Amino acid sequence: MSEQPVRIAQITCGAEYSGIQNEITTAAETVGGQMFYPDVALKDVKRAYKDFGLPVKSPDLKLAIARAQAIVEGRIEADGIFIASCFRCAEAAIVRNELRRYIVENSRIPVVSYSFNERTGASTLLTRLEALTTIARRRSLMAREVQVGITMGVDSGSSTTKCVIMQDNEIIGTGWRPTTEVIKSADEVVALALEESGLKISDIEAIGTTGYGRFLVGKHLNADLVQEELTVNSKGAVYLADAQKGFATVIDIGGMDNKAISVNDGIPGSFTMGGICAGASGRFLEMTSKRLGVDITELGALSMKSEGGEDVPMNSYCIVFGTQSLVNALAAGYKREDVAAAACHSVAQQVYEQQLQEVDIKEPVIMVGGSSLIQGLVRAMGRMLNTEVIVPHHSQYIGATGGALLASGFIDKKKEA
Amino acid sequence: MKPYVPQYVGTVTKYVFVDSPNTTPQDIATAAYEIAQGVMIKETCFGCQITGSPEDVDRIIAHLRKLDPYRIYVKDRGFPPGDARRCRADLGGARPGYLGHEYEMGLVRYIAYGLQETDRMTPEELSAAAGREMPTPEALDIDILESLMKEE
Amino acid sequence: MAKVFIYPATSLILSDLVARFGHQPLGSAISIREHIQTPGFDSPPIQMTSDDPQKGLKWAAVEVPSGIRGRMSLYGPLVEEAEAAIIIDEPDLSFGCMGCARTNELLAFMLREKDMPRLELRYPTSKEEGVTFVAAIKEFLKNLEGQQ
Repeated sequence: MSEQPVRIAQITCGAEYSGIQNEITTAAETVGGQMFYPDVALKDVKRAYKDFGLPVKSPDLKLAIARAQAIVEGRIEADGIFIASCFRCAEAAIVRNELRRYIVENSRIPVVSYSFNERTGASTLLTRLEALTTIARRRSLMAREVQVGITMGVDSGSSTTKCVIMQDNEIIGTGWRPTTEVIKSADEVVALALEESGLKISDIEAIGTTGYGRFLVGKHLNADLVQEELTVNSKGAVYLADAQKGFATVIDIGGMDNKAISVNDGIPGSFTMGGICAGASGRFLEMTSKRLGVDITELGALSMKSEGGEDVPMNSYCIVFGTQSLVNALAAGYKREDVAAAACHSVAQQVYEQQLQEVDIKEPVIMVGGSSLIQGLVRAMGRMLNTEVIVPHHSQYIGATGGALLASGFIDKKKEA
Repeated sequence: MKPYVPQYVGTVTKYVFVDSPNTTPQDIATAAYEIAQGVMIKETCFGCQITGSPEDVDRIIAHLRKLDPYRIYVKDRGFPPGDARRCRADLGGARPGYLGHEYEMGLVRYIAYGLQETDRMTPEELSAAAGREMPTPEALDIDILESLMKEE
Repeated sequence: MAKVFIYPATSLILSDLVARFGHQPLGSAISIREHIQTPGFDSPPIQMTSDDPQKGLKWAAVEVPSGIRGRMSLYGPLVEEAEAAIIIDEPDLSFGCMGCARTNELLAFMLREKDMPRLELRYPTSKEEGVTFVAAIKEFLKNLEGQQ
């Protein structure tokens, strides 16, 4: 990569001793980043610890506080910040969360926070660090608010593949298919979108790909932009929700993992991605609809027949236990609609507990992705956050729309070339 | 995963720190070089690092300690000197252990004094000095402290 | 010569005094050196891999964070080897290997639990305390020779 590496400040506790430091370094290098330890002296640690006022015991967490302070105060320059600590460490979780908040409130440096264990691999960290380097490196690209020309976005997700074709700031074609084989599914959705728009592939001036299959599909389609879903989705979300200025929170409950992104002027400030178990993802709702004998597209309407299902005992912390409570609830005679609503509530609760604690919720809250079409889930999330959740049009095409929008930044470059 | 082939197997590395008005880190390094006999010496801002067979390293350290017996301090190190995995220049910042050294180097003047004084003591005097109040790790409970202060 | 575990395990002062008075200090560097000098898979900087937190399961259960288990895999074997221990129970500013308070609590407990001579003290804050500090350590280490 000819560009200067993006300098990512590492503020972690326990990474070396968990045996994953090399995974962090490798993931960063793969996406053109370079991890570094912000250099602080002992006096800085003592001062930062006193200033910050969080009386932690672990010296490495005191060091973390000092490193964050050195960056926020501008004594050390960083393009991005990676804050991470051991999973299940309460002391570090408190520090991690407070430092993230402190950095977001006092600087414009993008930050990602993560809790790891010894099994955390470079591949898990890749998307997060890619998002971090993108935000740092491509601020001008990310600043785009209007789509121009004819562009296409393809979102190759873990459950579904989506395509959007845009022309002059309007969506003119869409395609949607369950993901089976990555390239085949992509070809299918591209064909669907082209058909709807009445265009040929040669009419497309620029292509952007995102999602798990972005690299493969990007290569296949010779895409101009191949970008992880954190930045692309947040861009698509604020674009479609007409919330490109100011703060917003984007929640995407996906088929395999969830994303919660705190956005400022269309650029992600902090984000989390993950989920302990599929019990907290769209996968659990798929299982629920199967068990209730309805199509996933009907689950939302069914759940809205219920008041909310909060009285149905249901806990999807783990998908196995969640399914068990689903079966038990039906056996206990609860109504199908209440069980459907309870499943929505449970997923919302898991996302709230596991992820929304890691970002600052600022209104408007925008829900996107296929799961945002399940009204019961949107209602449950709104109740949990005590706000009216916005679901923009084409919300299931958020990644593809973001891809098409950002790809239009490449048209001019091509013309220049 | 890439295989790892270690270097300097069977060696030990030791840090030699000096904190003295009479001896500089450079003096230490020079003295070490003089009797190095092929042992790796690396001069640092606090003294030097010595890497070699345990016997060779011990030999050099015994010699260095004589230069300023109460103000030279030695510690094992896991890494060979200048290792890119630990080097400040490569990491962008000091490894965490550096700050620990910084902390303890702020205290060694008391240790130097203690070493000097205890060196002159008879066994009985040493026992008496060792038994003094200082080595009590339990801090006074704040309530007890308060009541004591009131009694005063 | 006795093997004396030093706590903080990264302490320059304790390492120096133990060696100076004729014994072998056991601390972080010994375990790190073993990692650095053992061939295996490349995992810089300290050549610890996911196997190490797994080894740490011997001293801490699976719900204990990986960083603690990883650190315990460095210290556990040394504690087993140790014949005596010197503990400074205020290593507030020991970073890196001793950077985790929870590990340090478990480590201090293991050292106290083991049936072996043990000296507990704090860092000196004056020249006078320096004398007491050095005298206590010197005396402790001298007595170890007698016991051996």
